[in-house]
Amino acid sequence: MSSLAERFAAYVTHRWPDASEVRVDELTRIHGGASRETYRLRLRCRRGGAEQEHRLILRRDPSGSLIETEREVEFRAYRAFQGSRVPVPAALWLEQEARWLDRPFFVMEEVRGGEASPQALLAPPYAAHLERIGEHKWTILGEIHRADPVAVGLADGAEPAALDTCWRRELDHWERVIDEDELEPQPIARAAIRWLRRHPPRPAQKLAVVHGDYRTGNFLVSPAGEILAVLDWEMTHLGDPIEDLAWSINRTWCWARDGRPGGLLPRERAIAVWEQASGLRADPDDLHWWELFSSVKGIGIWLSGAKEFSTGTNSDPVLGFTGWWLANAQDRAMLETLGKLT
Amino acid sequence: MKPDVPVVLQKLSMALLTEIAPAVGVDYLQRNTGIAAIMLGMAAEEWDRAAARRVEENAALRALFRDAAPEANDAALRRRLEEAARGADSDLRLSALDASNQVLRGLLLELHAHVEELSSPGARRVESAIWTELRRSTERRAFALAPF
Repeated sequence: MSSLAERFAAYVTHRWPDASEVRVDELTRIHGGASRETYRLRLRCRRGGAEQEHRLILRRDPSGSLIETEREVEFRAYRAFQGSRVPVPAALWLEQEARWLDRPFFVMEEVRGGEASPQALLAPPYAAHLERIGEHKWTILGEIHRADPVAVGLADGAEPAALDTCWRRELDHWERVIDEDELEPQPIARAAIRWLRRHPPRPAQKLAVVHGDYRTGNFLVSPAGEILAVLDWEMTHLGDPIEDLAWSINRTWCWARDGRPGGLLPRERAIAVWEQASGLRADPDDLHWWELFSSVKGIGIWLSGAKEFSTGTNSDPVLGFTGWWLANAQDRAMLETLGKLT
Repeated sequence: MKPDVPVVLQKLSMALLTEIAPAVGVDYLQRNTGIAAIMLGMAAEEWDRAAARRVEENAALRALFRDAAPEANDAALRRRLEEAARGADSDLRLSALDASNQVLRGLLLELHAHVEELSSPGARRVESAIWTELRRSTERRAFALAPF
């Protein structure tokens, strides 16, 4: 059996028939991105008489993951925002056939010189720019929501959504995930779901592109505090933009323990920046609904990862870790949002 | 058994973090080593309290069911609450305590959904007791490393 690098080189030769001397090296797996196996690599070849070098990211479907997602959705999202005010890596190839690398995958250009780790961003040199990063973070989120899904090409093929029922579709989905993946009863999440069904939010202001996992850890930051690329679009869908805003300020992301999501901006400032950039309003009651929902979704993700790890479908330690570290915190977040923590 | 299990886990955790992880040349594996170290520390934290929190919680749930049973207006649910309230943890292995806990937490979930639909003052009292227990159950499971 040839190595992953050799097999990827063969794939490139298939994609670029005019390329010769295709070589792949410096292939290393990147940590995180638990929904897919992610690799960094260097590709060199000769095309049109010239030597070329490309730094690429390979995202391959895993055998099991935190999130069951559709790779095409993620690939199309990268394509949709290319060249816009929403910085994304250039997406190159989507491969659905398993014959090349055993499982489907897609490839994009590597954005170099950026840091994604939430803990690293709280230390120098990034720590000096936290406010700037925060302003940029929620401005970009507003830009995502300002975009017209039809114009950017994300309406076709997306699961249909309606202004007044997109909340129910999301809640149904994540309740189903909890039904399927819980390894023990979840009395707090179940109480939260019942509350959410009794108190639905108002219809969405617009049907927007929802990133689905917009939080610190899913974008790359330069040492000067500039966001270079928004990543991890695997849960992208059409829906209520408040869903993304609520997820971005979820309490479990307050790892700096200063009440600031991602340790970046105070909650109210983050909301104001998003309102300014999106041209939309975050109604407090609707935001409250979506904040509680975001914790139900969080529990669904942590339970899925814990099940994958427990059953051996995927032994990535991060899946076990989030089951321990974040599931309990997410329960606390739900109690807090419901006013039951004290 | 000496050295104590938490001491062993903490020392292994520190060795992974300070000696082994820095020597691992592959970034992906180095970060996994760090996660393993953190989880050993969390396991050490859980070790000492593991039996106590399960016994405490199971007893609290049985007491709650004893008080709540008269408020249930579903005869089958009332009977199950009374039966669960008479139970006790005779097997103190963690796996046995966990099995009991899962049954009891499942019944708590049912009781919660049931009393939410009732309007009596007794139902509100039971609901309040359930929220108090859910808050305590979350505190029992919390780790020092919790993100907030």
